[in-house]
Amino acid sequence: MKEKDYHDIFSKFKGLQTDLIPILVRIQDKAGYLSEEAIRYVSEFLKMSQNQIYGVASFYPKFRFTEPGKKSIKVCMGTACHVRGGLFLSEAVGWKLGIGIGQTTEDKRFDFQRAGCLGCCTLAPVVKINEHVHSRMSVTRLKEILEKDD
Amino acid sequence: MKKDATVTVTIDNKPYTVPGGISILEAAEQNGIYIPTLCAHEELTPYGGCRMCIVEVEGMRNLPTACTTPIADGMVIRTNTAQVQSMRTEILQLFLSEHTSSCLICEEKDQCREYMGTIRKAGVTTGCRYCSNDGQCELQDVVEKMEIKDIKYPIYYRNLRVEKEDPFYDRDYNLCVLCGRCVRMCQEVRVAHVLAFNHRGRETVIGPAYERTHLEAGCEFCGACVSVCPTGSLTEKARAYEGKPDREEITTCTFCGVGCQMRLLVKGDRIIGSLPEQDDKVNNGQLCVKGRFCITELVSGPKRAKHPFRTYAGTPAEITWEQAIDAAAEKLAACKPDEFAMLVSPNCTNEDLYVAQKFTRTVMRSHNVDTSARAFYGPGFNEYLNLMKRSVPLSEIRKASAVLCIGLDIRFGRSVVGVELRRAFRKGAKIVSVNPRQHSLAMISERWVQPVPGTEIDFLKSLVKSTGEKTTAAGTKKDDDVAAVARILSESKSTVILLGSEFLQYDASPDILAAVDQLAKNIRAGVMPLPAQNNLYGSLIMGSYPELLPGGQSSTNPARLAQLKRAWKSSIPSFHSKWNAANPTAGKKLKVLYLIGESLLSNADKPADYIISQNIYPTDSLFETDLMLPAAAFTEADGTFINGEGRLQRIRKAVEPPGKAMPDWMILSKIAQKLGIDGFAYKKAADIHKEIAGLVEDFGSFSKPKREARSLNVKTEMKVIKPKRAPGVKTGKGHPFVLSTSISEHTHRGFPLSSWVDGTRSLFCEGRVAVNPEDARKAKLTDGDEVVISSNGFKKTVPVRIRLEQPPGTLQLTKTEAEAVNPNPHPVKMRKK
Repeated sequence: MKEKDYHDIFSKFKGLQTDLIPILVRIQDKAGYLSEEAIRYVSEFLKMSQNQIYGVASFYPKFRFTEPGKKSIKVCMGTACHVRGGLFLSEAVGWKLGIGIGQTTEDKRFDFQRAGCLGCCTLAPVVKINEHVHSRMSVTRLKEILEKDD
Repeated sequence: MKKDATVTVTIDNKPYTVPGGISILEAAEQNGIYIPTLCAHEELTPYGGCRMCIVEVEGMRNLPTACTTPIADGMVIRTNTAQVQSMRTEILQLFLSEHTSSCLICEEKDQCREYMGTIRKAGVTTGCRYCSNDGQCELQDVVEKMEIKDIKYPIYYRNLRVEKEDPFYDRDYNLCVLCGRCVRMCQEVRVAHVLAFNHRGRETVIGPAYERTHLEAGCEFCGACVSVCPTGSLTEKARAYEGKPDREEITTCTFCGVGCQMRLLVKGDRIIGSLPEQDDKVNNGQLCVKGRFCITELVSGPKRAKHPFRTYAGTPAEITWEQAIDAAAEKLAACKPDEFAMLVSPNCTNEDLYVAQKFTRTVMRSHNVDTSARAFYGPGFNEYLNLMKRSVPLSEIRKASAVLCIGLDIRFGRSVVGVELRRAFRKGAKIVSVNPRQHSLAMISERWVQPVPGTEIDFLKSLVKSTGEKTTAAGTKKDDDVAAVARILSESKSTVILLGSEFLQYDASPDILAAVDQLAKNIRAGVMPLPAQNNLYGSLIMGSYPELLPGGQSSTNPARLAQLKRAWKSSIPSFHSKWNAANPTAGKKLKVLYLIGESLLSNADKPADYIISQNIYPTDSLFETDLMLPAAAFTEADGTFINGEGRLQRIRKAVEPPGKAMPDWMILSKIAQKLGIDGFAYKKAADIHKEIAGLVEDFGSFSKPKREARSLNVKTEMKVIKPKRAPGVKTGKGHPFVLSTSISEHTHRGFPLSSWVDGTRSLFCEGRVAVNPEDARKAKLTDGDEVVISSNGFKKTVPVRIRLEQPPGTLQLTKTEAEAVNPNPHPVKMRKK
């Protein structure tokens, strides 16, 4: 995002502290994440400290602070998926791509997140890659999918 | 219900009458009923986070927290039922599963404390004693009261890294109970917003954004968070493992003109720390980094001067006080009035300053007594005093609807004023900051004016012009900043102008200060110059300048001279002094130069044949000190100061001076008596204060000073050396940077604080040149690299300090020694050495 994009977003707000979350949502919608630069601009606009903004934003899992990859991998960690081995899947992503939760690979191709429940427990365990839900996932199949995307 | 009405409640089956509008917790505390709590604190708003203070209230669902539930008439409260206790125990057990607990439930705890066997030796290696707050921990108190003997749940150790990278305090969030006191302190009271809760649930951790260090996150290191931490998560580096203090002594901070009241913590014969005095008019329970963290290191440093010594052929040798007094008396007796000069620090007490000028005038029969303030305020000294003559008290900020801050930095000095400003900002006051550097002040400013160093005067002049006009002509093309600021000021009902130290050493400072004066007249604003020296006001009233007599009268005033002659029973020479600190070579060549709490900021030749230095540390100076006399620090003597507002304040002796050191006035009195001069038979500082009371109004009560804030009353012009007019600061191809130089304002008794307090070296830039990160990147510089700064007729090699707030294309050099950098500011070029 360029400086102008931030000002376009800010122009719709009065600059009250209560505008913080709507502004952050719009920035994330546009840029895909909240960069340090974004938080600096918001801090200047709302006259709030960057620390305060980060404190609020980091409370919500919706906001992310690293640039998303081309493909976003979400491993479901809901109860059903957890029981059916979601944890192994999540570890497998870590081994395969060498990144932790909330991180993005250096080549910006994948980012990795965990989800609470994706709402399709009968298909457990599930992994969501971008908008596509892969059901009854196994570690071998997940590896294959990740490699196929290579 | 009215707030002041009283209500009757029943607590634990007993009726009590308590004031309305308070919480159940406060009502219980007022009546001596114990309710355990971890997150409640008297300075902070109720939070209800720790859930330890749950009580049973008849007619209320569940168990409400006592700290957040307001008391109501007829309430029936039970604080100690079986249900309440079992739930509290359960909550505490959950706390303890996340809190390392060897100090809480160990069977050998008591023996450990008594014999220190385990705690000091095995304990250190087994990790049993890694919390430095043992014995001063509120969690320990609660565990003890709740009689918890073991921990039910498995320990969940978070294994967070202990953060030690910042100066002054360490953070171990493994010990944190997330009570939120530090966060609330930082956000509600200090309004600094450095600390916040990050993430959530069991991942929650306290700290600044992006795991930055506190230094990077804009922390002012006021230490308020450390003071309220109920556990050992936040600990002072200098006070770690000290334990509880034996006693406290109320005193005045001596690091700037605000004059904060504070409590010195004393253990045995040492100062171990300092905390703000809670109910004070000046600082309202706040301190800055200097008052909170620098005192211990400054006054208890191992290099303190403990014995007199004299120098034989370049080698210092310890001598006794008798020998030292004899040596001083001998030199002084052989010295003619014009060949003697005394330089006394504006950090000294009124009593010291008074005796110093009396010594010069009656013993040496000279008027050659001066302070380093003359160099600090430079050519603008008179204009600065003019502003002090119409100053308003700091409490005016609270009433102001607009505050104009000129050259003010509120981070490390005067941060107490910063707190007031931020509170005013939150209440809707409009703040305007004029400062080239982007400090924390810029963030709360309605308008931040960022002049190129050297062009401040142009801005102020147009502002004066704009506010002076009766009607502002609409539609005329005006500078944006000027118009905006003029509009803010004209809309404001009451305005205060705060003056920091940023532009004081500029060549244009007389014009800047005169413009501020004119501006204040135009908009009928109160002005508040915030002197960097704690007793500048006192030094003027005590007459420790050649041109001034005690009381602030001119040295040429014959009536006052006659009055002093009668009071001192001594003849005083008529005034014909040419020497002063700004012009030390005027007049005759000096035979003796007597420095009290000053180190000569000069790399010129030795300024006198014989130099007596009286200070708390030996001068590591560029010239030889012939005689070194050890003085008592402000924690080791009694006395009074006058702060920048004109308020008389006490300092109290908390500990004995180290070795054979003595208060300044006592040393001077001894030398005077040795020389056979009457009028120096003082036994204690109160005697001097009594003598001053006879000559200066509003002195008198030494034990409880009564003089309140008032503007300065000085009736003379000070001699200054006006610089040649600056030929503008146009940067050209050859000289792309604007260099401004300033004298460090964070000094004490002639030394920059950073020479004795390690932590301040990462905060202040003394002896280094501040460079913008972008400029540094272009020049391939990293922190600490040496650069050569040069222009026509000026060349200097200095280490670099990369500072985010330094505007691009500018350099700022904070000097520790006086040297001609003319004009100031001026264009230079910079290259890596």
